[in-house]
Amino acid sequence: MTTTPTPPHSLRTAAEPDTVPDPPPGAPDLHETDGHQPLRRDGDLLLTGRARFVDDIAPRGLMHAAILRSPHPHALIRGVDATRARERADVEVVLTGADAVDLATPLPHFFEPSIVGCRTTEFRCLATDRVRWVGEPVAAVVATSLAAAEAALDDIVVDYEPLPAVLDADEALREDAPVLFEEWGDNRLGLFPFAEGDAAAKIAAAPHVIRDELRVGRQHVAPMETRGYVAEWEPGGRLTLWASTQNPHPLRTNLATTLGVPEDRVRVVATRMGGGFGHKFNGYGEEPLVCLLSRLADAPVKWIETRKDCLLVGAREFTHRFEVGFDDDGVVLGLSDRIVGNIGCLAPWGGWSMTFPAGMTFPGPYRIADYAIESVPVVTNKAPWNGFRGYGKEQAAMALERIMDLVAEHRGIDPAEVRRRNFIPPEAFPFWTAAKHLDSGEYAAALDKALALAGYDALRERQAAALAQGRHLGVGIGFELTPEGGDFAGSFVRGFDTSTVRVHPSGAVSVLTGVTSPGTGNETSIAHLVAREFGIAVEAVGVTQGDTDSCPYGFGNFTSRSLATGGAAAVLAARELRERMADAASALLDADAADFEFRDGAVVSRTAPETSLTFAELAETIYRRGLAAPGLDQPLLEVTRIDLPHNFHHVPDDQGRFSAYPSFPYSAHVALVEVDAETGVVEVLEYSAIDDCGVVISPGFVAGQLYGAIAQGIGGALWEEVPYDEDGAPAAETFKHYLTPRAPDLPSFRLEHQHTPSPFTLLGTKGAGESGVGGAMAALLNAVNDGLRPLGVHAHRVPLTPPVVLDAIVSGGAP
Amino acid sequence: MTAVEPDAAPERDLALTVNGRRKRVRIEDRQLLVDVLRDNLGMTGTHIGCANGDCGACTVRMDGQITKSCLVLAASAEGADVTTIEGYSPRGTLDHVQQAFWDLDAFQCGFCLPGHLFAVRDLLDRDPDPGEDDIREALRGNLCRCTGYVNLVAAAGEAARREREDQSP
Repeated sequence: MTTTPTPPHSLRTAAEPDTVPDPPPGAPDLHETDGHQPLRRDGDLLLTGRARFVDDIAPRGLMHAAILRSPHPHALIRGVDATRARERADVEVVLTGADAVDLATPLPHFFEPSIVGCRTTEFRCLATDRVRWVGEPVAAVVATSLAAAEAALDDIVVDYEPLPAVLDADEALREDAPVLFEEWGDNRLGLFPFAEGDAAAKIAAAPHVIRDELRVGRQHVAPMETRGYVAEWEPGGRLTLWASTQNPHPLRTNLATTLGVPEDRVRVVATRMGGGFGHKFNGYGEEPLVCLLSRLADAPVKWIETRKDCLLVGAREFTHRFEVGFDDDGVVLGLSDRIVGNIGCLAPWGGWSMTFPAGMTFPGPYRIADYAIESVPVVTNKAPWNGFRGYGKEQAAMALERIMDLVAEHRGIDPAEVRRRNFIPPEAFPFWTAAKHLDSGEYAAALDKALALAGYDALRERQAAALAQGRHLGVGIGFELTPEGGDFAGSFVRGFDTSTVRVHPSGAVSVLTGVTSPGTGNETSIAHLVAREFGIAVEAVGVTQGDTDSCPYGFGNFTSRSLATGGAAAVLAARELRERMADAASALLDADAADFEFRDGAVVSRTAPETSLTFAELAETIYRRGLAAPGLDQPLLEVTRIDLPHNFHHVPDDQGRFSAYPSFPYSAHVALVEVDAETGVVEVLEYSAIDDCGVVISPGFVAGQLYGAIAQGIGGALWEEVPYDEDGAPAAETFKHYLTPRAPDLPSFRLEHQHTPSPFTLLGTKGAGESGVGGAMAALLNAVNDGLRPLGVHAHRVPLTPPVVLDAIVSGGAP
Repeated sequence: MTAVEPDAAPERDLALTVNGRRKRVRIEDRQLLVDVLRDNLGMTGTHIGCANGDCGACTVRMDGQITKSCLVLAASAEGADVTTIEGYSPRGTLDHVQQAFWDLDAFQCGFCLPGHLFAVRDLLDRDPDPGEDDIREALRGNLCRCTGYVNLVAAAGEAARREREDQSP
């Protein structure tokens, strides 16, 4: 399915070209999806235990760090006595917050809050005078073994004066609440409003109005590999940090700043990553801390996050209070949602700003002229957030989809039909909302395909038959719009990236890129794209990522942008090289450069196929005879490019509209569940989804991303939560408490695809990776409520654990 | 300031067979098998995801039983025959389970692979023709955060099919 909307001209700056360039003659059709993709790179290394992750890095003389963390949610530090720890023979270094003040500057934020008008403050790698969350680092020890380092923590005595703590966001907003950052006066970090039209008036005048609430519990990313860092200083003062990080170059810049080392003398190596999902965005105090400890110990130092410490990092704790006005037909006339995000304590980590897309994503795939959304990040004495796949966009999906179902229930209309009546129609693209310039979409078609895939009508019949036997099946629809590829000028969260392509004399090709892979497979796809440009075997293309000594500056892995940026940059670089090589072939073979095509490992004249050189012969000849032979006047077979800006609108238009995200994939989901009304247990029986992320380079990898996103969404909807106890400590410290899905918890997912290319990106791609989380959460939320409908109750809280479902049944479902 | 000598951790010699080779290592009594495999013997393909027996990334085969090596004191492995992921298949080869995992894209980051490979191998050794529910049940002790288990389950079924095909005349 293809739509070709015309890009708007008036709203773009000169630096933002309107259209993607025409491909050079003979270039492969980038929108062609032949279904072929190479096997995942390094699969054999992973399958035989020979791939190296950060914890496998062990330089000679390695020492180990352990970190003392606050047991209090809020306290003053009156003193730290590390005398006894320092006296231990196996302890090399003890560092307190007071010691560290002179050794490292305040930490740069992953995303400086003041860029978007929020309050801000400074943080050190170790707390100095005050702790604000259980788990905040207070002191660190380096010892010859991890066991010795951990044992020495017991010998550090911290004199705390506990302060009143606040854990709930609503309580934190009260006037008498304990204030975390006194200079702010209250606990509000900021306010993100997104509005068009006059929602209040339209709601007031609407024939029907629903007011309701949705609460989402604190959740956690849980990559299988936790974070870790290994630091080593060379005698000349050069630092290497091996890090499980999603952003090696920005991390290098920040380390140079924090440690006062010239940036070129810092090397960050992002090791093979055992899952990221946002957990490994930079900004953590441990990053410079491990480097400091190594410098003080004069030895390489390793720190690996424990699972308990990993589980400290939060996300997704939101409350929605929404109001929707609609007509008899279920068409939404006005919508408001006041969203409060309990972001825990502020930190330099990259999580609090999930409150921005949580509001920005509204009104999702729906054409609602009058809406007023406010998203308010609030600090409390819980641990800070870092990124979690979905990045707040799942909040909009849950609230909007819940609203669609409530409207449907109110009007007695099928929930799928209510969505069809409210979707933005295909002919309306590109489509502006307050903070999004939507690229393209066939939303109703995707929903109808999902319904067909699920056998929606048959599910309804099964539901009725089951109910007659006293069983509560529920069918839930979730439609998700997923803004991807965001570009936030002023931060290192940028929407472009850089790739170098280098052709060696042997004909081997290297790609060095600023994007990294957390396990998504983009390195395989980038090799595939570059091999296609040169008409050579994919095995001849090597891809290097994550090493700041060899790769061009880039921003790493986030917001599902790696292929659209790093991949596109590599294609542009390869095309430039191909032109140079065609010119050389033209001089060597006395034929028109435009006549050459690159295929099957050779450079071949289209009109006279016997006129050809192998790709390797041509490359070697250019190196050996460049500048010496007539016509061989460009012997540099290396090009570095960034991808072209695409559909970014940083300067607000005359109506104040802007768009920080360039691409808008979407997905439609249908879930079938059974709710046990006696126990509150929800079983997921069937799951179907359609996704549309535009042009797909590697269909298998995109499907894999969707599968993983759906599983994370189901886990978030049904089981995953980090509750806090009354003392302000997190109660989930292991996977026995934090329940991510296991294989028997899930059905197989039926997944099919629709392709509506982005008219704005070089490859026509829209970003894949995050899409699916919100749709799954919404589908499950609606399915459980659909199952509860015969009981006359609603559930308003996620995750829908058995106690939550039972409580809804028993209490009658009042919010 | 006088240095305080910490209490010396009790130590012992441990003899065991790892991936078909006899090893003798000096260990502390408190060391877990996973730490001895990784730190003393360099078998870093065995991963630590939780150190609590929940995730399965540290799975090895010990005297024929698939075992979470973070739940085993190394000292109790005296004389044991241990196979890690490095020795799961002969060097330079992939068995049907590994190849099907690769062909069907059953993993993404790959950190959890020791648990999933050994669990599927163990299942197929017991049941050459498992159904989807059998496969999902066999994977219960392992966590994967990337794949939603869809391709893992499919690959386990595919590996079983290839093995049956191999064995039929």
